[in-house]
Amino acid sequence: MFSTIFKYELNYWFKQPTFYIFAAILFSISCFMAAATAGIFDSITASTGSANMINSPFGVHAMFSGMTIFMLFLLPSIIGASVYRDYKSEMHTILYSYPFTKGNYLMAKFLSSFLMVLIIVAFMGLGLIIGFRLPGTNADIITEFNAFAYIQTYLVYIIPNMFLFGSIVFGVVTFTRNIAAGFITVVLLLFVQGIAEGMIGEVDNRFIAGLLDPFGSEAIGYYTQYWTVAEKNDTLLPIGSLIIYNRILWMSIAVGFFTLVYKKFSFSQNAITFSFRKVKGERLIKHNFGGITRINLPKVRLDYSMKEQLKAAWRMSHADFKYIVRSWPFISILIVGLIFILLMAVTSGKLFGTSTYPVTWKMLLLPGGGFSLFINLLTFLYAGMLVHRSRIFNINQLIDTTAVKNWTLLLSKFIALIKMQVIMLLVIVIAGVLFQVYKGYYNFELDQYFYELYVLKLVHFVIWAMMALFIQSLVKNPYLGLFILLVISIGIQFVPFVGIEQAIFKYNDAPGYRYSDMNGYGGSERPYLVYKLYWLLSGGLLLILAGLFWVRGLPHSFKERFSIAGTRFKGITMVSFFGLMMAFFAVGGSIYYENNVTNERKSSKERELSQVTGEKKYKKYEHFLQPRIVDVNVSMDIFPKERNFEASGTYIMVNKTAQAIDTILLDHNNYPSTFKFDRENVLVSEDTVYNFDIYKLDKKLVPGDSITLSFTIKNKENTYMRKHSPVRSNGTFINSSIFPSLGYFGGGLTDDKIREKYDLPKNDLKPLPSDSTALGNTYIAKDADWINFEARVSTSEDQIAIAPGYLQSEVVKDGRRYFHYKMEDKILNFYAFNSGRYEVKRDTWKDVKLEIYYHKGHEYNLESMMDGMKASLAYNSENFSPYQHKQARIIEFPRTGGGFAQSFPNTIPFSEGVGFIADVEDDEAGGVDYGFAITVHEMAHQWWAHQVIGADVRGATMLSESLSEYVSLKVLEHEHGKSKMRKFLKKALDDYLMRRTVERKRESALAYNDGQGYIHYQKGSLVFYALSDYIGEETLNGALKKYVEKVKFQKPPYTTSLEMIEYITEVTPDSLQYVIQDMFETITLYKNRIVDAEVTELDNGKWQVDIEFNVSKYRNNEKGRRFYSDNKVDSLSYKTEKMRKPIYSVPMKDYIEIGVFGEDDSDDKNEVELYLKKLKITEINNKITLILDQKPLEVGVDPYNKLIDTDSNDNRRKL
Amino acid sequence: MQLTIKNLSKTYKNGVRALDNLNLEIGTGMFGLLGPNGAGKSTLMRTIATLQSPDTGTITFNGIDVLKDQMSLRKILGYLPQSFGVYPKMSAEELLDYFATLKGVSSKSDREKLVKEVLEITNLYEVRKKYVAGYSGGMKQRFGIAQLLLNSPKLIIVDEPTAGLDPAERHRFLNVLREVGTNCTVIFSTHIVEDVKELCNEMAIVNGGRILKQITPIQATKEIEGQLWSCRVERDDLDALEAKYNVLSSSYNQDNSLTVRVYATDQPSGQFKSVEPQLDDVYFIALKQDAPVEA
Repeated sequence: MFSTIFKYELNYWFKQPTFYIFAAILFSISCFMAAATAGIFDSITASTGSANMINSPFGVHAMFSGMTIFMLFLLPSIIGASVYRDYKSEMHTILYSYPFTKGNYLMAKFLSSFLMVLIIVAFMGLGLIIGFRLPGTNADIITEFNAFAYIQTYLVYIIPNMFLFGSIVFGVVTFTRNIAAGFITVVLLLFVQGIAEGMIGEVDNRFIAGLLDPFGSEAIGYYTQYWTVAEKNDTLLPIGSLIIYNRILWMSIAVGFFTLVYKKFSFSQNAITFSFRKVKGERLIKHNFGGITRINLPKVRLDYSMKEQLKAAWRMSHADFKYIVRSWPFISILIVGLIFILLMAVTSGKLFGTSTYPVTWKMLLLPGGGFSLFINLLTFLYAGMLVHRSRIFNINQLIDTTAVKNWTLLLSKFIALIKMQVIMLLVIVIAGVLFQVYKGYYNFELDQYFYELYVLKLVHFVIWAMMALFIQSLVKNPYLGLFILLVISIGIQFVPFVGIEQAIFKYNDAPGYRYSDMNGYGGSERPYLVYKLYWLLSGGLLLILAGLFWVRGLPHSFKERFSIAGTRFKGITMVSFFGLMMAFFAVGGSIYYENNVTNERKSSKERELSQVTGEKKYKKYEHFLQPRIVDVNVSMDIFPKERNFEASGTYIMVNKTAQAIDTILLDHNNYPSTFKFDRENVLVSEDTVYNFDIYKLDKKLVPGDSITLSFTIKNKENTYMRKHSPVRSNGTFINSSIFPSLGYFGGGLTDDKIREKYDLPKNDLKPLPSDSTALGNTYIAKDADWINFEARVSTSEDQIAIAPGYLQSEVVKDGRRYFHYKMEDKILNFYAFNSGRYEVKRDTWKDVKLEIYYHKGHEYNLESMMDGMKASLAYNSENFSPYQHKQARIIEFPRTGGGFAQSFPNTIPFSEGVGFIADVEDDEAGGVDYGFAITVHEMAHQWWAHQVIGADVRGATMLSESLSEYVSLKVLEHEHGKSKMRKFLKKALDDYLMRRTVERKRESALAYNDGQGYIHYQKGSLVFYALSDYIGEETLNGALKKYVEKVKFQKPPYTTSLEMIEYITEVTPDSLQYVIQDMFETITLYKNRIVDAEVTELDNGKWQVDIEFNVSKYRNNEKGRRFYSDNKVDSLSYKTEKMRKPIYSVPMKDYIEIGVFGEDDSDDKNEVELYLKKLKITEINNKITLILDQKPLEVGVDPYNKLIDTDSNDNRRKL
Repeated sequence: MQLTIKNLSKTYKNGVRALDNLNLEIGTGMFGLLGPNGAGKSTLMRTIATLQSPDTGTITFNGIDVLKDQMSLRKILGYLPQSFGVYPKMSAEELLDYFATLKGVSSKSDREKLVKEVLEITNLYEVRKKYVAGYSGGMKQRFGIAQLLLNSPKLIIVDEPTAGLDPAERHRFLNVLREVGTNCTVIFSTHIVEDVKELCNEMAIVNGGRILKQITPIQATKEIEGQLWSCRVERDDLDALEAKYNVLSSSYNQDNSLTVRVYATDQPSGQFKSVEPQLDDVYFIALKQDAPVEA
């Protein structure tokens, strides 16, 4: 019987056009995606440059397995519907009386449809294979075809996943007889995957996440998370034990589920229903047979006017809305959505284990894309349900013969969908407020909740509802409609691949908006709303089309529907259609005009080409001799309400070279500006594209002579759609880059493969620090060394304006407030202006005045930031050199300007998002006080950047960023103790290892780094911290002090990383010189782990611990390829019988820390070190035996994660 | 009030000609449409009820061009299809309110009054809070009548409403329909001759998409008075009898013999007795006359 049903089912599917439609759609999508990532559209859009081979086994897996998400949404209508079909056609009443076993029946049904799914998925794989190879793809990023990569993904991941999802969906649909329920099940499983994905932020959770992810991707990620680019390109996917566990776990769940389905299934004729209310049985008796009633219907008014139809639509929407909110799909998503948000609230938004106060904008960020996807899915699903509901329930003939208008019906469905969206959005408010209450935060800004959700967000979903109704009323099968809508909504994100970049061509696309406590939406909501108005108009058109194609009466052929639509297109429908169309084009046109005509808009292709021509045209000026700015006197008038600025200034520039200069190269921006030199000149070249002008002086500027440039600059007038100035109504932050500079300072394209295409030479970025001819400039400015600085800043009366320097005067005149600042000492040519309605907190450290300018309400961390300034001042001035200023100020600016702090001379603008609202827990287990840490770091820059500044060569940021981060770690260690450092170090290590995997060009050693954050912050801090541990903090700081003494405030040539390393080398003992080579000069990574540890209690009450541990290290080249040899000395290797592959290592004479830990007697059972010593290691495999007085609980090799180790979790083992 | 149907034709995709140049005029009162399954009754009724469009032909009702101005007809139309479903989890009261809204009853109090009245007429008032989806066949059919009444229709079309109802329900249903139909045009299709006999003041017999006969039930039986004959025969003799006479119907008796009714102007033979003509006979005669002559 099995084979009969099985064959019959296959036959059925092969006859179904839907099968071919699905296969064709998915094949085309895969093919398109593969071709697009492989750069087939490079001629019309920006070049796809990448260091990654996109069809490496790693890439194939990510793409193939990612694409199958589409497939999941088809499962309900393929696998789910296999049994359901028999119910729907009421075949089951006959079929179930036939003589076959339920096992046969279920297996045949399931396996046949499962086979169909696998066939369709295979088509997707085929699409990928072909897509990568289509003519026109970029051969540089495609490697050889590797069939094994596809087969591995197909067999190990996709088939099990389809089996898992398929069997669950099969069960759910079979029992509920509701395809929508199967669909929701898919969404819920995706949600589980979302949780797993959310967990990987925390290093400790990754194993669990790897187990939990039903797709198995996080399990792969567990092994591949730190893979470098080279490893990703060359290596086959790993088969680790976690992957096997994951597969076994989920396969058992799938099999278990299928068994359950088998057990519970019976050939009964009713679907399982749930009811919470007990229904009492009642005997029903018929009476009142055959009575004759006189019919006297009350006279009522029948009104078919426009007004009444509108009211009717509103009333009828209640019924549809009720249907939605009572249905299981909606209820389950609602509940899951609520849980989702609360989970996100608990887990997300932490920095170094520290969360922030639950301010409203934070709460509004929680739902993120996940929840929006939920709402969209519900909208797509219920749009189909509502449109087709009357037909599904066979009530359409009753409804269609009433005199209700088509648009009234359509409108009622539309309103019901909006109501559903309103409820879903309400979930966000409820979850947000609940969480705020839970956290004891009672500043409920309901107005902000409602404005953002019901004005800004809702309109977005409403526009999708319009599209959904349109598609669903065209398509007969609501699940096909749903699938099409998913393809559209996801596909829109990929149209930039084919060169369509403007939002007005991408349905429902709009520029984003962001909120700050300081500045509100800051006008960012205006263009958003204009775009949304535009899309609402287009949605209106779609709704009219939906009305035209609305099926009334019996189903028609598509041809008939067209002719019916034609006859309906008249009168008011036609008028409103053309009216809407005109409005749509008017709004769209004005947006287009604003973006493309009034303002210049460059496509990414044009931007790429512009970079190329710019470089070809001006690169020759890179080393052109220029006078240097020695004196800056600027005036900046800020108009917060109008959001305008007007500035002027004078530079005094001196010819510090030995040659006469007759040409001035002026690099500026496109703000309306004027420039005037105090010396006769001719403007020989004015370039309004690159804003790069060349002046020829009539009289040469002889060495030592000076010239003055006066300039004015202001912003173009702001329009409703577009702001042309960086001024904010509160919290303005403008830095000196807005002013003109001298000389050519162009970076150019960095990707060498793309450069080759445009005949540009390889870009080696900056020169090496060993290049003594390249040390003439600091890495901050090319046109100045140290300058005198003076600034006059004005703003509105209610605001405070700040610039570096000491306040000379403050005057209020005509509703404006004027400030005059002057620097007493020389500073780098690097300054900024801030203005806002600030509260000020003041304090002093010795004779230094400390100030924090903060937004009212953000008082939480002012104390600790003040402490941070003091601690940093103390540490730096004690260890390195005195503080050069008499004041230090922190100024808060809106998070919309970025989430960073930046150190200008005695002035530190500090984002509201990175410390002001941190919710630091005081206890030991709590996270790192990052407001404090960042403050220390930024203060340290007053030394490490503003005293010691590196030359503009590779490795320069080591001198500023790595050192500031080192100071920050040291201060934290002194404040909070060593135990808290492990968390910080582990996080830094994880960030370093993670971010280097997505390096696009090259990773160099710390001393030669190209300025990547993950090298100079994360690796830099780890290196200096470890170094201070090896050679001692005092020794290291002593060397640094000498170094600072020599180089601070120096004139060119400027210092380099190599010079600092010389000072360090000098104080490092010979036995530890290898550390400098490992840490600064090469990329060296350890793989240390505890292999085995045993503890025995000795007779004398002491404890013996036997520890076996492995130590090995390897090096990476700049592409991330491993090597083990060191100056021709052979590498080490170690292999036991159990191991498949030997462990290799660079030869070692390394000192590695071994630790044994116990607990103290206190109630908290704090960890205590029983043993901690650096041992000299020369072999990979080591065994030691220790005798201890106290009971050991945990052992570790490099237990504090001071070294760069690719698996920091196996360094310790509990006994 | 006059419904005029002219030259109505409809051929389905599968080649079935459901309406074949059909002409019909219907006035006020109950009009029965009698025909076997698949005769084109439902197609005709759905076409009048604006649910589908014919290939050719016109339909007018009270000056309304039904095929062009569907909305105007729908305002005065009450339609009960052969089978229909309802939305789940909605009580009769809720669902009727929904329908009243659909039918343009704008004021809330009007709707309440109206819904209460139709519930009482159809004797559903006591179960008004129960979900309609859980109603028995008869109750659901009464609900169908209830929704039909909501816009006080002038043209009522009911398609095989009594199929599957128990005798009591059937009676009740027909009574209500009769009551409703006094002042308007009711078109009522059935394949049960009894229904027509009891209710209709005019009737038509349809088969193969054509009107075979349009007449009043009384007139119909009168026409064939004295031409109907009946006799008892054994089962084995039936074939011979059928070959010889125009046998309209035959039915088993308890002793396994058959009673045969024959249509003939004169007494066929001595064993036949003259019998009162029934409407059934009219129906069978009409169908027989239309049947293609077998070669």
